Amino acid sequence: MAAPRRAAVRPKADRMQSFIHFESVSKNFGAAKVVDELDFHVGKEEFVSLLGPSGSGKTTLLMMLAGFERPSSGAIHLDGRRIEHLPPYKREMGVVFQNYALFPHMTIAENVAFPLKMRGVGAAERESRTLKALELVQLAHLRERKPSQLSGGQQQRIALSRALVYEPKVVLMDEPLSALDKQLREHMQLEIRELHRKLGLTVIFVTHDQSEALTMSDRIAVLNHGKIEQFDTPTGLYDRPRTRFVAEFIGETNLLPGTVESSRDGEKTIRMADGTGLTCRDASDFSPGASVMVSVRPEMMHVAGAAGENRIEATLDDCVYHGDHVRLHMHRGDIRLVAKAHRRDAQAAMGGAVGVSFRSDECTLVAP
Amino acid sequence: MIRQRLNACLLVAPLVVFLGLFFIWPLWAMLVTSVQGGTVRETFPQTAIALADWDGAGEPPAAAGDAIVADLRLEVPTERFGDSVRTLNSQYPGFRTLLPRTARAVREAPAGEKVDLAGIDPRWTDRALWLVMKRAMPAYTDANLLAALDLRRDDAGAIAAVPPEMAVNRATMTRTFVISAQVTLLCIAIGLPFAMITASLTGWKRNLLLVAVLLPLWTSLLVRTASWMILLQDNGLINQALLGLGIIDRPLALIYNRAGVLIAMTHVLLPFMVLPIYASLLAIPKNLLPAAAALGARPWQSFLHVLLPLAMPGLLAGSLLVFMVALGYYITPALTGGAGDQMISSVIAFYAIGTANWGMAGALGLFLLIPTTALYLVYGRLSKPAGAA
Amino acid sequence: MLGAFKLVFGALVVGFLLIPLMAILPLAFTDSVFLTYPMSGPSLRWMNTLAESDAWRRSIVNSLIIGTGATIVSTLVGTLAALGLRRDLVPFAGVLRSAFLLPMVVPAVVLGVGMQILYARMGLASSYTGVIIAHAVLCVPFVMINVSSSLAAIEPALERAAASLGASPRRVFTNVTLPLAMPGVLTGAVFAFATSLDEVVITLFVAGPNQTTLARQMFSSLRENISPAIAAAALIIMILTFVLIGVAKLIPMLKARKAAAEA
Repeated sequence: MAAPRRAAVRPKADRMQSFIHFESVSKNFGAAKVVDELDFHVGKEEFVSLLGPSGSGKTTLLMMLAGFERPSSGAIHLDGRRIEHLPPYKREMGVVFQNYALFPHMTIAENVAFPLKMRGVGAAERESRTLKALELVQLAHLRERKPSQLSGGQQQRIALSRALVYEPKVVLMDEPLSALDKQLREHMQLEIRELHRKLGLTVIFVTHDQSEALTMSDRIAVLNHGKIEQFDTPTGLYDRPRTRFVAEFIGETNLLPGTVESSRDGEKTIRMADGTGLTCRDASDFSPGASVMVSVRPEMMHVAGAAGENRIEATLDDCVYHGDHVRLHMHRGDIRLVAKAHRRDAQAAMGGAVGVSFRSDECTLVAP
Repeated sequence: MIRQRLNACLLVAPLVVFLGLFFIWPLWAMLVTSVQGGTVRETFPQTAIALADWDGAGEPPAAAGDAIVADLRLEVPTERFGDSVRTLNSQYPGFRTLLPRTARAVREAPAGEKVDLAGIDPRWTDRALWLVMKRAMPAYTDANLLAALDLRRDDAGAIAAVPPEMAVNRATMTRTFVISAQVTLLCIAIGLPFAMITASLTGWKRNLLLVAVLLPLWTSLLVRTASWMILLQDNGLINQALLGLGIIDRPLALIYNRAGVLIAMTHVLLPFMVLPIYASLLAIPKNLLPAAAALGARPWQSFLHVLLPLAMPGLLAGSLLVFMVALGYYITPALTGGAGDQMISSVIAFYAIGTANWGMAGALGLFLLIPTTALYLVYGRLSKPAGAA
Repeated sequence: MLGAFKLVFGALVVGFLLIPLMAILPLAFTDSVFLTYPMSGPSLRWMNTLAESDAWRRSIVNSLIIGTGATIVSTLVGTLAALGLRRDLVPFAGVLRSAFLLPMVVPAVVLGVGMQILYARMGLASSYTGVIIAHAVLCVPFVMINVSSSLAAIEPALERAAASLGASPRRVFTNVTLPLAMPGVLTGAVFAFATSLDEVVITLFVAGPNQTTLARQMFSSLRENISPAIAAAALIIMILTFVLIGVAKLIPMLKARKAAAEA
């Protein structure tokens, strides 16, 4: 899994005031708590993804923002105004649905003009704005067609254009790309990012595809069981996962269990069960005596040279060729380990026993 | 392959023959009967020949009088004689008394002796009477078809309206269409919201509503109509309840009038409206209405711009079906309506069963069959693309 | 508010649809001579009338004879035709398919007039044969619809599999196609019987006094001398129909359960 690495951008929320604010929002369906006391802010013009496995509450969150579900408790603010009591048609949000939800009985132009018509925009202005919105997605030439005559990618772009035509304050997207094939999906990801930048949109994007979230977002909220595990930039999530769930859900990781022995100036010493000592410098604040997992990304595991101050011995099980790299599958006792290495480094590992190393600032401590 | 085709044809053949014999042929026989010259020609064969050359303008030929005397001397089945009398009487009131009287006089007179028709009854000198005789004798006639529309041929042979006091068929046909339209509208008014509610529910609630629609379809029409008679009569359950609640102080007239017909027919036909609408509502993708709301459509706008257009095929199919079936209704209006609420089927039944005037029954039947079949063809057209999609 | 409206409207329509199905039934056990509520005491008086009065007893027997006859005739020709039309091997299959549904569409009174005229010529008027045939014509569409849909539901792969396993066309038909189509045939037959049981209009035209059916007898009682015997007859018709439909729906279910239990 190649994690895209971008230059770390400062989260926009830092410099911008809160635009969307969820204030201790909960949602229960009967006895089931689907969203649990959520509190978070989204800044203006920010692209935020809600990422999580199915049932994590991400779609419910979006539906509450769009107005299809009401919070059981808590408040939702948009631009300083409470909106949780408003019906969907008064919220001024553009929603792109999972299967596009284009109206089959209307032409493309009628579909795009629909929100304008609902707002009582006059015919002439309606037409020019519809055309502009269609040009935005380069499909103005299809305006007389019916949705059923369009390909999946084209329908997707029409749905986007329809959600943007009345210049909503916020654009909500519910897994909008899940029905497209891989190539088209990647193309659309770029196109949506481009529109986001060009129009200065505030976007809330629901997905269960972590690479999609990493590619597109300014920030990502990782949801699990109705709670936010971590709300951070893509790099922050990947490099500094704060929970085991995030470490495992975003990308791939090795987890080494142990106990914190000492903690000084952010540098912690961890003792593994077999006595091996590891050091880790990260932002976590585990006290001595706490049992933890040391999370190390496979590409941070070095099998050749002495690249890091932490060294452990492991037994090589298999070495799998992946073209640009090789994956070394190892074990140490009960612990399974994976390292991503360059081919030439892999040569050194042949022969059963391997010494792997990693740097103390390239690992993170998470609760087991 | 040829063998398989042959086998398939052999399997279908019995039904083709069966329906050909007992479905198509009866309809054809009805059509033919309605345009056939009728029994007058058979009852008065010699008169027919004598009148054939008469242009109808001058005095009737003298031979005609002798011919009719000869014809009246023949032994004719009473049934056919009666039918002829009725046919003639419907064009010239008076034949009903004239012909039996003349026949009696002719048979009592000694054979071979000249009979003075005018002596028996002065009406035999009326040229109009002879004209009616002549007109009643063609091999084929449009008299029944015209009569079904309250038209007739006047003395000059041109099509004219019958006197207003005899013009009842057009009123009945109009009433048939009006009642059918009223029932269709009532079914839409109840069926559309009900189908929407059914489609919006889930689980046992939806099933309950569906069973409520399907159960009447499996229940005898007669039982349902009889039930309505019990519910609607003056001391029926509805009036008892309303009186008991003090809403009214004297029973409402709910039966043997238009209200009774509309209530009972709407009940019987409602499932035919609900089911197609429900089917087309179910076919609407789940996310379209949320999408409309998110795009700014208020509930009534969503209904008008999204739900209604998409439910339209079902609504149209249901309306056609209800209207088409309502046109031919007989039992329900016969039992729950008053004299002023009888539809065309009752008139047909009256002619066929009450007076054995099959020509008229057939002609009226034709005017019921044509719109029904046309609607069925439209219905087939409408439901085909939906079925293919 | 919308929720409350939905609830009230839904309940009202359910009441409108269902109450008339049942309103008449308790009156089958009234003691009074009037067909109205409140009913007096439970009694079997009118059930006895049905059993003892010549006209009613006769009409029940007639309904059973005619219903059985019409069901047999319509199920036989209807099933054969549905099988023949299955694969569009017959010329004008599409036209035939919609033509076979026409007896459901043509107003009963119109067909009645035609049949009366034709029967008078054929000498079938006022005969059991005539009434059975007339009813069978009306029942054919129901058989066609049910059998066709159960045939359409048969996985073509099953028949191909049987053929590839060495079954001749005849054996494929008897061992695979027919058993799988049977529920549809059964349902069609039940609908046919129910249709015949409830048929009044054509009966008015083609039946003589000797062939008066239960429905016909009910119709004339409703017109001429309303009595609680009608309610008793209604109860019998309802019970007959629902037992038959129950049987038609239950048999396939029981078979499936038995098969599941054996597996």
